[in-house]
Amino acid sequence: MFIDIHVHPDFYEPLNADPGKEQFRHDQMNIHHNGTAPIAHVFNQMECAGLDRLCLLAGESSAPLDPSLVSNEEVRSLCNMHPNRFIGFASVDPRRENASETLEFAFSELKLAGLKLHPSRQQFDPSDPLMDPLYDICQKYDKPILFHSGVSWEPNTISWRARPLLFEELAAKRPSLRICLAHFGWPWVRETAMLLLKYKNLYADTALLYFDSALECYRQVFTLDIPFTWIDRSLRNQVMFGSNSPRFEQIRMADAITKLGFRDSTLALIRGQNAIEFLRMEL
Amino acid sequence: MIFNKELTFMTRKYIHFILITHEVEEAAKESGIQNGMVTVMTKHTTTGIAVNEALECLESDISDFLQTIVPEEHPYAHAHMLQEYGSTAGNPTGHMKAHITGNHCHFPLIDGKLIRGDAQDVYLMEFDGPSARRKVLIQVQGE
Repeated sequence: MFIDIHVHPDFYEPLNADPGKEQFRHDQMNIHHNGTAPIAHVFNQMECAGLDRLCLLAGESSAPLDPSLVSNEEVRSLCNMHPNRFIGFASVDPRRENASETLEFAFSELKLAGLKLHPSRQQFDPSDPLMDPLYDICQKYDKPILFHSGVSWEPNTISWRARPLLFEELAAKRPSLRICLAHFGWPWVRETAMLLLKYKNLYADTALLYFDSALECYRQVFTLDIPFTWIDRSLRNQVMFGSNSPRFEQIRMADAITKLGFRDSTLALIRGQNAIEFLRMEL
Repeated sequence: MIFNKELTFMTRKYIHFILITHEVEEAAKESGIQNGMVTVMTKHTTTGIAVNEALECLESDISDFLQTIVPEEHPYAHAHMLQEYGSTAGNPTGHMKAHITGNHCHFPLIDGKLIRGDAQDVYLMEFDGPSARRKVLIQVQGE
């Protein structure tokens, strides 16, 4: 099974009947000229990439009083439409008083599979004790967290807030909490590699394409910045394929990951088996 | 008199050749124009409009030929983050293939009949699919 662990459904057609809401998403995501995607088109993209499942991430806006970019209920509605294709992740804004209540509802009632948080957009410190109630709920329901890490292309995002080292204290304190550092923490990919080596509850996804073509970027990051042997020999159980679609090139990234020299068994882990473990998916 | 009709196609594959001859013929009829010129134009820069014989073997050869002169792996300058889009430009090959193919074709319209050779069909050629919406403009000018 081939899973894309990192997909933003912000521009899926069923969520964008309101042009004002669509424009809000373009502005908040800083993604433009891409239009909206009918679900049939999403499936065509999956077919071209060879993907079986997409993890759809809900998202909160950068200002606490603004509406959600994509609400937990909207993610649930997409998953209900296509339960064999979509896996839903919740999001909450830790700055809101009802954050814990919202997350409880997302897991207990909406049955979402994990939590997405964005320290630089939502301006929080992952090791702040104020975050503990959210982490407690994730552990109570045995749900993973996917943290944005590394640079963000969105407005009002300060990069240091999502530097990989800032997640170490959390990983150390809660060894049974499964955490994914999205975007491999780019550009701090060696920090991410160090953390993955040290903490087996940490995962990272491959959702990065900030320079060059997909293959050129992956070759630079996963064979030069990090020798490919580091993943192939030591971190092979902790890396998951992610595309960050629609910002990046899902189809070309899915192809590029196969051309870096990883063993077939490592590729199988990156393409799906690690995500199945991360999500505790029942097949 | 000028008659315009815009058609929208969803392409399903990375490289996808869609026959649109029938749609062009229908637009020419719908225009009511008897004598003039029909123009078919794609509104995109990673698709092309081509006229050729509608045979699977030729479609395969055309695709292979374009792939040979526009390889996927090449240090294209276009492959970088585009600030205006907020996304990465991964489609330089689509632009190159579209550039080679061209974005339009013309047919004369005589006594209400679109004039084309027996082997001439019209293709919308997708070079950066799949795409949710590819728009083709058919314009009929005449009287």
